[in-house]
This record gives sequence, structure tokens and C-alpha cells, in this order.
Amino acid sequence: MCVWFPDWPLRRPDAPPDRACLVVDGSATPRVVAFNQYAGEAGVRLGMRRPEAEVLCPGGTTLEQDYATESLVFESVAGAVEELVPRVEVADPGLLFVPIDGAIRYYGGEPALIDNLARAVREAAGAGGRIGVAGGPFAARWAAASAGAEPYIVDDDRQFLASLDIDVLGKEELVATFRWLGIGTLGALASLPRPAVLSRFGQAGLHAHRLASGEDRRPEPRAIPDDPSVTEHFEEPLVLLEQVGFAARALSHRLMEAMGESGIAPHRVEVSARAADGTARTRVWRSADSFTEKALAERVWWQLRAWNESAGIPGGIVQLRLAPADLSGEGRQLTLLEDVAARIEAERAVARVQALLGPDAVLEGRSQGGRDPIEQVRWHRWGDDPPAVERDPRAPWPGSTPGPSPALVPPEPQLLEVEWDGGMPSRVRLRSRWEPVLNWAGPWRKLGRWWRGEPHVDRYQIVTSAGALLCELRHGQTFVIGVYD
Amino acid sequence: MENARNALSLPGHLTLEPGKVVGLVGPPGLGLTRIGLSMLAGPAQVGPVVYLDVRGWVNPLAAWEAGISPEQLVIVRCSDRLLWPKVAAAVLEGIRAVYAEVPTGVRESVLRRLAALARSRRSALLLRPLGGDLPTGVAYVRFQGREVAWEGPDVGHGRLVGRRLVLEASGKGVSGIERVIEVEDDGADVVRMVSRLAAAPAGRAAG
Repeated sequence: MCVWFPDWPLRRPDAPPDRACLVVDGSATPRVVAFNQYAGEAGVRLGMRRPEAEVLCPGGTTLEQDYATESLVFESVAGAVEELVPRVEVADPGLLFVPIDGAIRYYGGEPALIDNLARAVREAAGAGGRIGVAGGPFAARWAAASAGAEPYIVDDDRQFLASLDIDVLGKEELVATFRWLGIGTLGALASLPRPAVLSRFGQAGLHAHRLASGEDRRPEPRAIPDDPSVTEHFEEPLVLLEQVGFAARALSHRLMEAMGESGIAPHRVEVSARAADGTARTRVWRSADSFTEKALAERVWWQLRAWNESAGIPGGIVQLRLAPADLSGEGRQLTLLEDVAARIEAERAVARVQALLGPDAVLEGRSQGGRDPIEQVRWHRWGDDPPAVERDPRAPWPGSTPGPSPALVPPEPQLLEVEWDGGMPSRVRLRSRWEPVLNWAGPWRKLGRWWRGEPHVDRYQIVTSAGALLCELRHGQTFVIGVYD
Repeated sequence: MENARNALSLPGHLTLEPGKVVGLVGPPGLGLTRIGLSMLAGPAQVGPVVYLDVRGWVNPLAAWEAGISPEQLVIVRCSDRLLWPKVAAAVLEGIRAVYAEVPTGVRESVLRRLAALARSRRSALLLRPLGGDLPTGVAYVRFQGREVAWEGPDVGHGRLVGRRLVLEASGKGVSGIERVIEVEDDGADVVRMVSRLAAAPAGRAAG
């Protein structure tokens, strides 16, 4: 189930009730994240750029989003839902998810449970909340967007999602490409063969296809340490907000560093605090993309502040614990030196390139055995799991040339004019000039697979004043198979 | 962790700096590709690096020998001159170090925009024009290959074991004074600068 308050950013004392008001995010190009009825009637829409929206509402009020205050106020809603069903997950202030399957029988059926939850939300925050119920979080989120005063219940996630505009995927560049190809709805996307979508759009397309098919992101836990959580005990209870903020940042850093060592990217984190009087508070925060350290630290800080200023943490905080609750297997192995946020940014950039050029143009390689530079690389598409190598690189490969490897290897051998004098190369034609051979080494004979009719070929390293070439001599002709650039 | 993140250089070697453009100018055969790959090895310790391959010739074996882990090297093949600027820009948006072959006919304004993007994104960019030179001022430091001398082969015996390259360095990165430097590359280790030769084009101050 999803509970969403579209106007949550407006629920603040400085938002005027009697004229147009809009709230913008704090990004470099601010966009509208919420607007009131007056602004809506003037034509303001979510996602609109600030200048564009303000032109529509002369005399209106523009406020910058205040996440910390919004989280603080939203704590009452999360708490109210949690009284009825545990394991509430807050995605953003104003947006929460809660799995209800386990509580249905306890409440005597789904309608009764949903009624209870809807009443609890109204009592906590008044009218304006929208409730969506579906099989998965993505469908539940958009069911909430479709809901009015009554909850919107989805029986078949895929059927419900089919009619939604492709925009709901939220990936601007990918959505633009889909639209350009005539794919305007999630149903149109889901109807395409998945292998074809993967082939054309790579991992980003695969993920979008899964969402459109009602499958959501699959948590595939990787091998993880026994206890990935991090805990900090405070001999002196933390009572000042500055102390709490510092603790939030420090513990978030510890958790993300530990995650990095194991190559894990968390999508949910359970924040737990224990007060000096023994009271324990817990809240799960979730994110569609894996948490960065900065995003996690912010949420921990908002949560601690919300607890402190709502029910209070009697006597101050004596223990703080962060436990990653959903460890995605989609993240790559991270080295100790890598920054999680930078890795995510890098992968997004490469995924965009993949969308521009197609997955076959974005490649990685692995070493494998072989006698030619071409054979010694096993290519695979970026984002795919590396395939097993076909030939063991540690095995001896008679006929292979010794290192170093040429930096440039043409996909096809390039014919080269070489003059031979008594079995020795004397000069080569490079571009339009003859260059004397300064020195040479070889040959290294590669025996052909005679049963396939392959000839034996000889390899030479030929050095000129313009550089060194790896050449192959067969049937009296010389070919360049590598340039030592 | 902060030091490692900012350290795109290995002490004593040719270096990359965040936000700076390095030009590698010269025909194939002089060793410029391997110099570029060696310069990528540092950034590859902290994140993925991209080689934008126009011809489809780059051999990842040479990159791995230069110290780049296979898991950190992404090769993007783009031979389309019209699409190349968009691809290069997309790569620079998120990758900390990029080696980009530049197809012939790419406009100067495109290269300047990419240089500006590299600066704003704090990405290091190596540009290797496949024909001709780079416009003045695009590269913070420009290395032009002058000559190369290989060691190892001996009239049918031996094998390539190492080379010395002479490069001419110019640009703001060398204080605007053209310098000639000699670089040693034994193929098994990263490229090392072995001497800064005093020789410089006539009429200019020596480095």
C-alpha cells in the first residue's frame, strides 16, 4: 500500500492559503514539486520550471522545499500507520509504503484493513492523502496518484500499468527515446519482447520493461557479511540537535563504507534509536535508486530530528543503529577507494551512451587464451555478466607473440607493402612513403589448423622510425595485425 | 578517502588532472595510445574510465598491461562523426577520466564545448585527433610525438622490450613554454618521464 500526499510540501505555516503558492526543489534548475489550488487553476503543473510557473502566478508565493521540516511533520503519519501495520517504509516526506499482506487476516479482510489505515491517516494529517493498493510498490505508487478521496485498489498490476503514460518511468532521456519510437504507454513497452528491449536499450531498458510489466525491482541479495548493520553507543546521551546531526553523518559514512567493501548498494535502511530511558524507535527509509551517503545521512538526520521534536527521545539518544534492509545485487563490486555516488553517476553516464549507440557499441573485455591479439580478448556488452572465457589464458599458446601487446589491433589484418631481402624485411611502405626497417624480430610461427585448411603464418615485429608494427606473413603477403602505438 | 578520490596522478609520471584536457597529437606508431592508457591507470583505481574508440582498433590487452583493471575499462565504439560529440558529452557527464579519439572533421567549437564540459564536471579528458591537430588552447597540455626508438629486436633475434619517446609539450600546463621531454616505456610498467630535455624550438625559452 502507498500513502501519498501530493501537497505535502505545502503543509507549512508560511504557505498562504488564500492565493497561489508553489513549492520548488533546491536543484540548480528549480522545478515545481507542489502547488495549491490557485496555482493549479493558473496552469502550474508538477515538474514545471520555476520561472515558467511564476509567470503564470503573478503575485503568488514561491517557497523552497524544506525536507527536514516536511519529514518532521510526516512522522505523525508514519507513526499512525505503524500503529496498525509494522514495517512502514518512508520514501520521501509525504510518501510512504507499507506491506499489508501479513495484516489482512488480523483485520478481518483487506477492505477492513484499508479502511482502518485510511482513517488513521486522516486523523493524523487531515484530508488530502491518497491511498493506492497494488501488488508492488511501483504500481501502488501510481494507484495512489490515480486515487481520489477513496483508496484505489488494483487487482491486476500489469493491466493497471498498461494505460499509464511512459512518463511515469521518470527517466527523461530514456522516456524521450521511447516516445520517439512510438512507445507512449507502459503497456506498449511491456508488449515488446524483453530480449529485444534489452538488446536495444541495455539494462536501463530492461529495468523499465520490468516495471511496465508489474514486476518491480527484484532485490537479489548478494553474499553479505553476517551483520551488515552499524551501531554507535553514546556514553553521554545526545541531547543537542547538532550532536545528533553529527552522529547521523558519521554513522551513515560508516555504513556506506562498510557497504562499499562488500560491493553492496542499499535500497532500504532501517534507522533505530534508543533513548536513555530505554525507549526504542525504528523507521525504515527506502529509495528507488540505491542510497548515496549524502542522501542516507540526510534521512537519518530528518528522522532523528522528527523523533526528537515529536514524541521526544526521553533523556537523549544512547544508541543509534543503521541496518541495510534491502541489499540490491545490481550494484557492482566497489573497491575500497570508490565513492558510491560517483559509481552510480558513472553507470548512469554509460547507460545513456548505451541508449544512444545501442548495447553492442559499449563493451568490456576479459583476457582469454589465444595466439593472436584478437583472440586474446573476450568481449561482452557493458552491464552484462562477463561470459566464461573460451580459452584459458594461463595455458601455453605456442605461436603467440610475446608482450608487450600492441595498443592498436585492426579488426581485419591490413595489407602492408614490405620489401624482403633474403628473408629479411628491408623497407615498408607507410602512407605514401617507403620507410627503412631499422630492426626486426621473429618470426614466431603460428601453425595453422591444417584440418581446416588454415595455412601456417609467421609473425614479425618490425621497427621503423615511424614506430613498430606486428606483422603476419602468409602466402607471400604481409599484413599488419597490430600497431605498437 | 578524499585524497584517493582527488588523486588522478601517480607521482613521477605523466599525469591527469580533474577538469583538464590533455592533447595527444601524432600518427599511430609513436606510442601515444599507450601513454594515454597509462595516464588513465590512475583514475581507473577509483572508478571506471572510458576509451572512446572511433576506429575500433584499441586493444584492451595494452590497457590492462598499462595498469587498468578490466572491470574498470569501458570501451565505447562510435565511428559516426555526427553522433560523436553527443556521445563524448554523455560520457563526460559521469566518467572521471576519458580517452577520446577525435574523428576528422569535428569542429573546433565542439572541442571547446567538450573542454568546457570536462572542466565543469571535473572530468579529465584526453583528446587524440585521428587527423591533424587540436585547435590552440583546447588542451591544457598538448603532447606531440616527435620520435620513437625501440629496443629489443636484433636482426631477427630478441623481441620488443621497451622504447623511448620524445614528446614536445606545450600549453598552459607547461607554463606556455614549449618543452621537449623524453619518456621511457618498458611495456611492463607505467610510462615514466626520464628527462626533461633542454632543447626547445629556436626563439623560445628552454624549459
